[in-house]
Amino acid sequence: MIGDALAWILGAAVVISGVFVVASRDLVHAVLWLALALLCTAGLYAYLDAPFLAGVQVLTYVGGVATLMVFGVMVTRRHAAAAAEAGNDSNVVGAVVALGVFAVLAIAILKTDLPTSTAPTPDTAELGRTLLDDYLLAFEAVSLLLLAAVVGAVVIARRRDVEARTQDDATLLPTMRTGAD
Amino acid sequence: MTLVHCLLLAAALFSLGVYGLLTRKQAVALLLSIELMVNAANLVLVAFAKFAGAPTQPIVLFTLAITVAEVAVGLALVMLLYRRYDDTLLDAASEMKG
Amino acid sequence: MNDPLLLAAVALLVPLAAALLLVVAPPLRHRGTPAAWICIAASLASLAAAVRLVALHAQLGGARWTTTWLFAAAKPIASVGLCVDAVSTAMLAVVTLVALCVQVFSVAYMHDESPRGFGRYFALHALFLFSMNLLVIAPNLLQAFAGWELVGLTSYLLIGFWFAKPSAARAAVKAFWMTKLADMGFLFGLLWLFVASGGFEWSAKLDPTVATGVTLLLFVAVVGKSAQFPLHVWLPDAMEGPTPVSALLHAATMVAAGVFLVVRADPLFAQAPLTRETMLWIGSTTAVFAACLALVQRDIKKVLAYSTCSQLGYMVAALGAGSAFAGFFHLGMHAFFKALLFLAAGSVIHAVHSNELSDMGGLRRKMPVTTFAFVIGALSLAGIPGFAGFFSKDLVLASLEGRAGWIPWGLLMGAAFLTAFYMGRTVCLAFFGKLSPKSEHAHEAPLAMSVPLLVLAVPSVIAGFFGAEFAHSLGAHYEVHLGLTPIVASSLAVAGFVAALVVFGRRRDASVASAIERLDRASFVDRGWEALYRRVLLGLSDVLGWIDRYVIDGLMNLTGYATLEAGSAVRGAQTGRMRHYLVAVVVGAILLAMLGWAR
Repeated sequence: MIGDALAWILGAAVVISGVFVVASRDLVHAVLWLALALLCTAGLYAYLDAPFLAGVQVLTYVGGVATLMVFGVMVTRRHAAAAAEAGNDSNVVGAVVALGVFAVLAIAILKTDLPTSTAPTPDTAELGRTLLDDYLLAFEAVSLLLLAAVVGAVVIARRRDVEARTQDDATLLPTMRTGAD
Repeated sequence: MTLVHCLLLAAALFSLGVYGLLTRKQAVALLLSIELMVNAANLVLVAFAKFAGAPTQPIVLFTLAITVAEVAVGLALVMLLYRRYDDTLLDAASEMKG
Repeated sequence: MNDPLLLAAVALLVPLAAALLLVVAPPLRHRGTPAAWICIAASLASLAAAVRLVALHAQLGGARWTTTWLFAAAKPIASVGLCVDAVSTAMLAVVTLVALCVQVFSVAYMHDESPRGFGRYFALHALFLFSMNLLVIAPNLLQAFAGWELVGLTSYLLIGFWFAKPSAARAAVKAFWMTKLADMGFLFGLLWLFVASGGFEWSAKLDPTVATGVTLLLFVAVVGKSAQFPLHVWLPDAMEGPTPVSALLHAATMVAAGVFLVVRADPLFAQAPLTRETMLWIGSTTAVFAACLALVQRDIKKVLAYSTCSQLGYMVAALGAGSAFAGFFHLGMHAFFKALLFLAAGSVIHAVHSNELSDMGGLRRKMPVTTFAFVIGALSLAGIPGFAGFFSKDLVLASLEGRAGWIPWGLLMGAAFLTAFYMGRTVCLAFFGKLSPKSEHAHEAPLAMSVPLLVLAVPSVIAGFFGAEFAHSLGAHYEVHLGLTPIVASSLAVAGFVAALVVFGRRRDASVASAIERLDRASFVDRGWEALYRRVLLGLSDVLGWIDRYVIDGLMNLTGYATLEAGSAVRGAQTGRMRHYLVAVVVGAILLAMLGWAR
């Protein structure tokens, strides 16, 4: 089946690009690998009868999140070289722990008697109805959460005025420094 | 591709995220790793909707929205970190050292 | 104003309102005079309500209102309220009348006080009146306990009113600790009563053993508050307070609270013959013992203080003999004439600026009104026929006839003689004889002092004639009968006076007088307490102090030290690196999953 073959290829692509996400030294490269991984996942969604989710994934993640990430990296770019220099001293520990996680998950998956069903997956229209019917409250709550996140992000990352910044340097930084000591 | 395959794929993705989380020093790279892990979780949800008929597709939408919020706040924190410590390496923020 | 409960609430709450007002409005207090007027107005309202209550009670009978305020597991535990019956209305009237007289008297007596001190004095008086009324009107033992402790507090504050004077401060602390020690008995008695009966009612039905235990514990508190042997030692020292305070708290009302408590809890005490026996003996012992001590005092207030102990001994003995009415009747009469005596003594002290009897003498010509009042009080106290004290003392003695082989009766007869004798001595030394240098410039007290004296002199003479009505309203029986007791008692009283006149009169018999003064050694009880305090209590405290310092504190320090060391030992785990924390979290998750499989 061509669909199955495509799915296998997509799955392999997701894993490979995931490896590059965590392995590439340059952050911009890592973000681009992540975008690829997310794109391939969107393809898998489409294969798994979730075309709407695939669309959303492409729009928000690949279009929004990845762009935002690149933007963040660019803004803080000054230290990219230093960051690249910083050696990863705990690679071995990280690898062992990650393998442990994978082992636990894999064992759990293989040991579990997974349910099967031939019920048709809901189409987009049904998904929309469910969203605004059963999940209406959660839906509204999420919109509120997004609003709060936007406001919060602005408040946290807001660039202060020049006066405020000098004040900041005079008062805040020393305390942070001593705290760091 | 069956449910088991999908789940194993997601597990691999998740473990990669864990690896990144544990080894990367840049704050933005941590966010990327978290994205991988969330993506793995979403894959599981969609796979269950397909193969087991579970009503999990709306949850994926919510997860996406929440992740977007998390990324926005997370990046704002990175900016703050950058401004406070003049650095984006997480090790700069080590106030919790005993 | 015909609702008994409303009147009772007025009598109770108006003094409280006055006290609160004086507390929250410092300008009123600091200016002095307004505080006095507020306090006196409150007492007047209280007195009016109390008098109306007495009249109403004669027509309508008692009333009772309670509200529950303490719950545990949805079960009511305790209530507060108002209890209007013969005992409380009579006591209320006595307390408010004496309080009003004393407060008016104080306006003149405390005149030299600074305005701030003056205001504080009257604020405390208002608080005292509330506390006393709270105790009097209590529908159960728990509320009585609250009032009991409050009067103890105000007593402490008023004894130590001149707290800058070391002796006054010491006396206040001594009074507080002595009564507090005794109040432990009240507290434990209350707890036992609650455990045994599930409530704090005045008339709970108890097991004979429990009743004996509870009432004995309560009696310990009575011994402390009413200054009975051997806890009487605080009362003479309490005379360091202003004389009107001594009149109100340490003669007429507060010290009588112990007697009042027993009268109130008569149903409880009736179930405990052993307790009554104890009371009988302690009361009669105190009566004689304190009378002996009164004989040798050189300070006019100390004479009256020991006399108070002695008279309270009469009341306790009467209660021990099972005659609550006799004790209560004597309480009321004693409140009048002893307050009168104290106020007259205060008037004298105010005039000669000394407490010492030797500084007085011949005041009869300088202060006729005061002399008249003091003599009236003395005659009433001695129990000369026709005066109020005669009736009540007769009743007390009559209730003791034939008890315990007539011994308590005999003791109290002896005390009656001594009472007349020491009062005769005091009258002779202070008011008759030659003028002493200090009394040369003495002059009669101002109107604000002499009017209360005359007001109190009236009931000190005639109140006894209302005994029958009083007894009737209490459901007791009373009639004056000519028999052994009144004859013996009144002849002893007259004999005592005559003897005093002979010994201390115009031609002093120096040898007898000095022989009597040498009896002063009798203050051994005080020294006994002091030795007990120094040797036993301080020694015990040292031991406890050592245990506290080295064992308990040592454990505490060890805990702190161990915590610090343990913290230093593991502080290395806190690297401050987020990665390390994440490793810990993930490894923990893996271990949890494996644990789940292992089970």
